[in-house]
Amino acid sequence: MIAYYTKTLYSIIKNDVLVLPSRMLVFFFIVAIICLPVVSNDPYLLRIIILACIYAIFTASWDLLSGFTGQMSFGHAFFFGVSAYAAALLNRHLHFPPWASIPIGALASVVAGLIIGIPCLRLRGTYLALTTLSFPIILLGIVHAFPDITGGELGISGLDRICRSRIGTYYIVAVSMLLSIATMWKLTSSKFGILLHAIREDEIALRASGINTTRYKIMAFCLSAFFAGIAGGLYAHFMRITGPSTLEVALSFQVVIWGVFGGIATIWGSAGAVFILFPIMEFFRFWPEFRMLIFSFIIIFILLYMPKGLLPWLRDQVEKECPRCKKKNISFRKTCRICTATLG
Amino acid sequence: MIFNIIISSLINGSTYALLAIGFSLVFGVARIVNIAHTAFFMVASYCIFLCTNILGLNPFAAMMVTIILTVLLGLIIFKIIIDPLREHEAAVLIATVALAMSFQETMLLFFGGVFQSLPYLVTGNMEIAGIRVAYQQLLIIAMAPLVLAAVWIFLKKTRMGLAIRATSQDREVANLMGMNEKGIAMMTMAVSVALAAFTGAVVVPLSVVHPHMWLHPLVMTMAAVVLGGMGSVKGSFIGAYILGFAEALVVFLIPMGAFLKGSVALSIMVFVLLLRPDGLFGVTFEEER
Amino acid sequence: MKKMRLFTRVCLSVCLILFTAINTWAAKEIKIGVIGPMNFTQGQGQWNGALMAADEINANGGIQAGNKKMKIKLIKADSNEFISITDAASAMERVIAYDKADFIVGGFRTEAVLAMQDIASDYKKIFLGCGAASKILCDRVEKDYDTYKYWFRVTPQNNIYLVKTNFAFLHMVATTIRKELGIAKPKVAIVGEKQVWVERIIGAAKANLPKMGMEVVGAWRPSQTATDMVAELAAIQKSGAHIIFTLLTASSGITFAKQAGELKIPAVMVGINIEASKETFWETTKGNGNYVMTISSHARNVEYNELTKPYLNRYIKRFGEIPTYTAGTYNAVKILKQSIENAGTLDSDKVIPEIERYDEIGPGGRISFNKSHDVKWGPGFITSLGVQWQDGKLLGVWPNQWRASKEAPPLTYKGIAPFKLPPWMIEKYKK
Repeated sequence: MIAYYTKTLYSIIKNDVLVLPSRMLVFFFIVAIICLPVVSNDPYLLRIIILACIYAIFTASWDLLSGFTGQMSFGHAFFFGVSAYAAALLNRHLHFPPWASIPIGALASVVAGLIIGIPCLRLRGTYLALTTLSFPIILLGIVHAFPDITGGELGISGLDRICRSRIGTYYIVAVSMLLSIATMWKLTSSKFGILLHAIREDEIALRASGINTTRYKIMAFCLSAFFAGIAGGLYAHFMRITGPSTLEVALSFQVVIWGVFGGIATIWGSAGAVFILFPIMEFFRFWPEFRMLIFSFIIIFILLYMPKGLLPWLRDQVEKECPRCKKKNISFRKTCRICTATLG
Repeated sequence: MIFNIIISSLINGSTYALLAIGFSLVFGVARIVNIAHTAFFMVASYCIFLCTNILGLNPFAAMMVTIILTVLLGLIIFKIIIDPLREHEAAVLIATVALAMSFQETMLLFFGGVFQSLPYLVTGNMEIAGIRVAYQQLLIIAMAPLVLAAVWIFLKKTRMGLAIRATSQDREVANLMGMNEKGIAMMTMAVSVALAAFTGAVVVPLSVVHPHMWLHPLVMTMAAVVLGGMGSVKGSFIGAYILGFAEALVVFLIPMGAFLKGSVALSIMVFVLLLRPDGLFGVTFEEER
Repeated sequence: MKKMRLFTRVCLSVCLILFTAINTWAAKEIKIGVIGPMNFTQGQGQWNGALMAADEINANGGIQAGNKKMKIKLIKADSNEFISITDAASAMERVIAYDKADFIVGGFRTEAVLAMQDIASDYKKIFLGCGAASKILCDRVEKDYDTYKYWFRVTPQNNIYLVKTNFAFLHMVATTIRKELGIAKPKVAIVGEKQVWVERIIGAAKANLPKMGMEVVGAWRPSQTATDMVAELAAIQKSGAHIIFTLLTASSGITFAKQAGELKIPAVMVGINIEASKETFWETTKGNGNYVMTISSHARNVEYNELTKPYLNRYIKRFGEIPTYTAGTYNAVKILKQSIENAGTLDSDKVIPEIERYDEIGPGGRISFNKSHDVKWGPGFITSLGVQWQDGKLLGVWPNQWRASKEAPPLTYKGIAPFKLPPWMIEKYKK
């Protein structure tokens, strides 16, 4: 029995995973994420990876909305902040444990998604971008207006930990990250994802074919808000404080930068970008004055030479598509691995 | 009281208007959302600071030098970064955000996070209806309509202006008609950046110079532009005054809520957009539906 | 494609291991992490203060911990806390976990310091706060002593004491106005940032200023990040205030003072204006900040005690300016030295009782901590100064014959100058 499953697993890995560099890397990435605490239980390293995981969920959720439907959101921190505050309030005042407050926070963020999403349906392009930009700023005003509830600029501190030990926290966050990304990836490669692509490319044509684009746009808003909310809740409980910084314009810009850097409309690209850029930023700490400067130059450089994003560009370098069956192949193969057609 | 509100809103509104005109111009013609617009404004302020405080030039000479240098910088940036990316709208957005950040960090590196300030172009004050107003503030109020008029004349009366208007209506056809579309975009960028530098010289003496000074005006400028309708210079001008008025109203009517002035102004913008998705005077472009 | 991820991670791990290795080599030192926004004046003040203290101690041979003489090694940690709280927390964890700091001083923005406090208590490292004023930080010690006992605040005073100090300022100014201009009930306009610490001050001001013979004509609450205050200034002029009670910590303090000075508004600005306590203020406002009064920890002309003058001279000679309040890291490092020597060990749990017992005179006054690990305030302890800009000079003007209570003896520090009203105000109101 065990031998059978091992064999099946082995054949899946051999025949489906190890044939393409991209799949190989995803596989190794997952293994690395799971095995990391075995190699090193350095709390600082774990902290960086935990934060990278949280931001990866957040960036992927931005990609789900903005990359796929083209509804450029410049205020994604709104969802992050709403959920972080909701989770913090529930935890602090009603003593909800993190496993309850994080999902409820994410639901609060879905409501926020509806509140923003419905009025924004009529807006397009830059108008939408700038309208979404203003929502977190408006909310920031409200946060400051009720310091008794929100703590004003001090935020809400002393939240419960996700888990007592750092390694436990790491696994909870890492598994939530893998699950969220997998869900989003699966979702976007289904029919739903194709519809979202279509909304971006030509919404009117889609409506003419009898598809209720409004419903799909609202769904995209809600789903994106939900995952951003998960990230926000995890962040609040990991940092153990929620403050106005979760709503700042800088965070909204940051997520857009990560998303575009990694390649929009891919999910894996934007998540991968966080795992590259976030540790790099930490790495440059030995050179604090130049940290942000190098960061912005990297972004400009990537945009100039790889406008599709870094990871899709890399993928195009190592893989090519079979002209007949449209399957991906490693670039040095002469013939397709499925249909044996000659590759160009 | 009403008169005081009007004076304050004129000062605020003119500041936003000066920035919004340039921002709107470059969007309307070249379809470039230049997030770094206020970052050019910040760089210009530092340039003036350098000229007046360290080289000891007089403020007007410093202003001239700064406008020239900033335009040069703008053109280089356009050539190297913005032009190759113009086809991807999102990429331009991000590139200009990154650009603004790199400007901010460069200034932080050279000048540190210390607050600096610029000398007034004109000093002194006068009393209008029980409220003292500095000459510098009157200058700002006067400059905004003047700049608008200059831009209007430039667009309507000159050959270059005609070309710019033609391009802004239909880029492809203008290109087909043999106009140098790229050159026109570059020209517009130069005018827009020059306006940002000029605004720096006029407005910044009233406040402080520091590397993060671009963020707040950026949000308000974009709000003004969006409120007025993107691509419409007139619209952004009016949008700026509406926001300025809203801010002044908040401060005068609910002093304990003065911190809400930005939030209220943005809420007004959101509200207007819900009723008119293309802003007050927005132009819709058929090919961009 | 995702090779980069692995590569980055490998690189990162290698570097981190190297760091750790280097750190374990050099274990003959006491490492003190200085954490703060190093790109900004607040962080620079923290670094400068700590640097001076460490150099002085090292020049005298270092710290006698038990039977070992150890030198101090400072570690600079840029928290970037004005921009990102995440960065601030990561910097804190890095300085403890990688740089192996034994003690930490610094911290500025309260939201960031709250996160840092949690990390410091996780690692059981003593964290001496030198920048954040919120009382909430010390309330945590009182509520959950075992978790948060590692936190002490060396500077500034908490917001309750700030209220008392500011009321003393207002009392002095109102008395001067009554005496010189014959205005029986001076009008006060309050301009305070929308911040939690200001909340309490404004509440107290509205309740108590009428009792002190002043009239509150309004309170304006701009946001901390506000860059222009045109409308606020116009509204205040309209209210006819004689005293503008400022509670500003950010750049708006400069903008406000600069515009008010240019307009020659017939009122005097008193209160907290952090920017005005810096010596660059005169140049930044182009002289328009004349007669602004604010709170500060030092002024060139004032001596709290015999230690003040040499300290100020050394500091000014080395850094070219008077120490701002975040340079209180100087005292923090001195406190650590004394407490480590008394405890004879670096063990946090043994050093804490020594810091709690600490009671010494420093260049800013007598330092001692109360039950919630907050620095004590009042005559005889730390009081801080009221300083006023008078024609290009930043002079200490308070406490001048100040009585903390009815029966307390009046307090005046050596070198205090008299408070002055702006001449344009005298011109306007003097009949």
